[in-house]
Amino acid sequence: MPTEKVSLDVTEAANFIFDMSRCIKCKGCTWVDHIYMPGVKYSTRCPSATRYLFDSYGAYGKMRIGLALLEGRLEYSDELLKILYACTLCGACDVGCKRNLDLEIELALEALRIQAVKDGKGPMPEHKKIAKNIMEKHNSFGAPHKNRTKWLADGIKPSPKADVLYFVGCSASYVHPEIAQATAKILDASGTPFMLLPDERCCGNILYSVGMVDEAREVAQQNIDAVRQTGAKTLLTSCAEGYRMWKVDYPKILNMSTADLGFEVVHLTEYVDGLVKDGALKLANRVDLRLTYHDPCSLSRLSEPWVPWEGERGLWGVVDPPLERRRGTNGVYQPPRDVLSSIPGVELTEMPRMRENAFCCGAGRGTKEAFPDFASWAAEQRLMEVKEVGAEAIVSACPWCKDNFSEAVGNNGSDLKVLDFSELVLSAIGSTGQGR
Amino acid sequence: MAISKEAYSVLESIVGPEYISADPAICEGYRAGPGGYECGLGYERVMTRVPGCVVMPRTTEEVQRIVKVCNRYGIPYVPYSTGFYGARSHPHVSDALLIDLKRMDDFEIDDKHLYAVVGSGVVYSQLQEEAMKRGMYIIVGGGGSQVSAIANMIGDGWSPLSYRIGLPHRRILGTELVLPDGELVRLGSLAFQDDPFWGEGPGPDLRGLLRGFTGHRGFLGIVTRMAIKLLPFQPERLEPTGISPHTTLQLPTNRVKWINFTMPSKDSMQQAMVEMAKAEIGGAVTKVPIFWRAIARAGSKEEFWELWSKETEETIRDFHVLRVLLIGFTSEEQLEYEERVLMDIIGELGGEARRTRPTDESWFKNADSAGMWLMCGGYVSVDYVIETVEHAIPHGENYAKLKRNYTPPLMPDYGDPGWFQSFELGHQGYSEFLVYWDPSENTDGVDQFYLETSKENIRKRFYTSLLGSHQPLYLTGPAFGPNYHKWLLEVKEEFDPNHVCHPPVPLAHDAFVERAEWMKPLKDWEGPAIADEP
Repeated sequence: MPTEKVSLDVTEAANFIFDMSRCIKCKGCTWVDHIYMPGVKYSTRCPSATRYLFDSYGAYGKMRIGLALLEGRLEYSDELLKILYACTLCGACDVGCKRNLDLEIELALEALRIQAVKDGKGPMPEHKKIAKNIMEKHNSFGAPHKNRTKWLADGIKPSPKADVLYFVGCSASYVHPEIAQATAKILDASGTPFMLLPDERCCGNILYSVGMVDEAREVAQQNIDAVRQTGAKTLLTSCAEGYRMWKVDYPKILNMSTADLGFEVVHLTEYVDGLVKDGALKLANRVDLRLTYHDPCSLSRLSEPWVPWEGERGLWGVVDPPLERRRGTNGVYQPPRDVLSSIPGVELTEMPRMRENAFCCGAGRGTKEAFPDFASWAAEQRLMEVKEVGAEAIVSACPWCKDNFSEAVGNNGSDLKVLDFSELVLSAIGSTGQGR
Repeated sequence: MAISKEAYSVLESIVGPEYISADPAICEGYRAGPGGYECGLGYERVMTRVPGCVVMPRTTEEVQRIVKVCNRYGIPYVPYSTGFYGARSHPHVSDALLIDLKRMDDFEIDDKHLYAVVGSGVVYSQLQEEAMKRGMYIIVGGGGSQVSAIANMIGDGWSPLSYRIGLPHRRILGTELVLPDGELVRLGSLAFQDDPFWGEGPGPDLRGLLRGFTGHRGFLGIVTRMAIKLLPFQPERLEPTGISPHTTLQLPTNRVKWINFTMPSKDSMQQAMVEMAKAEIGGAVTKVPIFWRAIARAGSKEEFWELWSKETEETIRDFHVLRVLLIGFTSEEQLEYEERVLMDIIGELGGEARRTRPTDESWFKNADSAGMWLMCGGYVSVDYVIETVEHAIPHGENYAKLKRNYTPPLMPDYGDPGWFQSFELGHQGYSEFLVYWDPSENTDGVDQFYLETSKENIRKRFYTSLLGSHQPLYLTGPAFGPNYHKWLLEVKEEFDPNHVCHPPVPLAHDAFVERAEWMKPLKDWEGPAIADEP
């Protein structure tokens, strides 16, 4: 059998025809891993398939639709665009498929959005407005660029030069300054000098996520150049979406390895875990709270480093050279749990769907902007789970999760606390820098 | 729109606008292939169609009303629970209505009387977890944890655990069946009260008709609700551990234990099964196909092929691994006793225990059928035989010989004679023959091999389960009946006079042979001319 040349280049959807054509409708992408199946409740991990129910909204439907589109058997329509975009790209389907079949579902979905943009059909109108904000005002909200550092007002003084560069991101800069401030105080408390980019701009998450890969690539290159110019050795984020962009998607769209960025990308949860385990940060203050941890998709199952691959696929679908598949196994699952459970007084309880089986909050990757009702519904689904385990608070490690959960809590009048990881850690060390 | 606006409006009024669609993108999402069970083959390419409309009812009453609309407007329809059973569970004619039953996910469990009542949308792993939380268990059919429990119960529904708790027809209790014309039949005790505790009378018992040999794949109506018998288990929790893809259940080894044995020969494996049954010990016993071992050991498709390419005719011929499950249902002492008896049996037969992980990756909660596609991309089980263990072994050996003529396109397996095991505490034996291929290759030979297995069964008098809708009815019906085909068609005519319930099943495989050029030379039996679909 002749071999075919293939690569993981998402700008060519044809690279994923094999994956689209090998889906067997086992729906491992939708169900929680059967080993962990909690019963008849909370049994799915795909928000899109759970909300819209038609098979067409599950990865099995999307693979068939994608294939029909690429083979010219199906035309774009409003429904088709909704199928492509009313999806959190949360990676649940990808780890589910790689439990047994190793198909590149996440990349195929990203490639289909890029294809939709190429074909002049995507993204959704709401996304175009956000893209305009990003390209013109360097943030997704359309806020004045000069306000980006307003969160610094609380007496926080970054270093002009340091090994650690804190990339704050749009959400913590403009909407959730408490996360940026907590992060800065934690770093300060641990004796970690940190700097900011002289002129921080949006990471471009939404641009890439909705398929605007040319614009995303431009942002990626500008940001990487800016960080390299600072000489930082570590880029630290408190935002899971930003973490994934820097660690995975920048290298992906620039055809390079994560290892070749020239600096390490670290999330606050990993960094604090290291500080606590090294004794550089003491979590001494008691925080009496029964809480549950929500795994942000981009920190957990989507966060494994990127390595470009191209090669040939031959008989039986065997590829050469060998491909190290990203299956979500090595996502950041344990560090935040270790940190939270080491805080005196904290009782960490797990939801039925956790780690790689977690149900996305619904906010990420352009979903909330174009489908706010769907995003709210997803958050409410998750909050039902929080209630089920009797937690007083849900803690995440991404401002986009906090935002969406907070809104849902506000809508349903619950007294549940929605907190970011950084806030909990700050409470545990005290806000006066006594963490060492 | 594939169905008339009037019919669509009526259907929409039944389920509401959110649960019906004729949008081409929605319908394309329900295409059978190109991947999946038996997909990528001629049968899928020639016989399946994208539905013209999809509807998702919530209740039995809604299903009845939908089916009556189909009869009134002459709309062909297909019931669909999860769609995993590949080509045969998808529409075979254009403009069909696909009735997606996933919203019918009601679930009740009665732990006093040991049964659960499930809707068509409940899958096995959900049912198993709910049962295990309450000290009970059920067989997760080899079709996989992800399949609808009802669909599997009325089709296949077995696994190695069938050794202890039997085949599924024994566990079907009160059931609701919407007949092809929309009439509702309540089976068993449901016929006279709202209590499904009993499957046989005093109401009508149509369970034989529901299942046939291995099910009718939706051409005799729609089961919307079923009470399923659960069995008592041991009390300790099987703890999930690991991160995907390395997830597993940690076994409480004082109560549940798998043990693998190296046996000197195939005969000794068979003898072990017989002796275990006589001693009434064990929770499961099965021969391990060697490629399953390779799948379990490989970290990827590429690693599988690296491992598999080292095998030879000799290594396959000399590979005799027996896998036994012990369960201390009543006590730790029961497990200890059964283990001592088992070791005596194996020792007398010259076998040796191998180190076995104290975990369960497959069968209790997770039946890894999906993993069968990793190696090649294409998979189907061409036959199941449920007879005796003595019968099962030559069945597999004959198929292995026959398979050589079709390799390639079938995957090289060095003469592996399939998978066999013991059911119902030794009262039955089981043989299953799985084949794999690369869907990118010409697969005509796979279609031909599938049909040739039927002829082999007739020649060698193997008691196959894959009759009816699975093979040409006019080939298998006369041989296994002698008038099985006539009887089945008369039943179909009686229940579905308008021919709207999953046409042209049970004559679909006959139609396939008529329509596929590469199949025509194989037709050496008398059958009706079946016209191409207009």
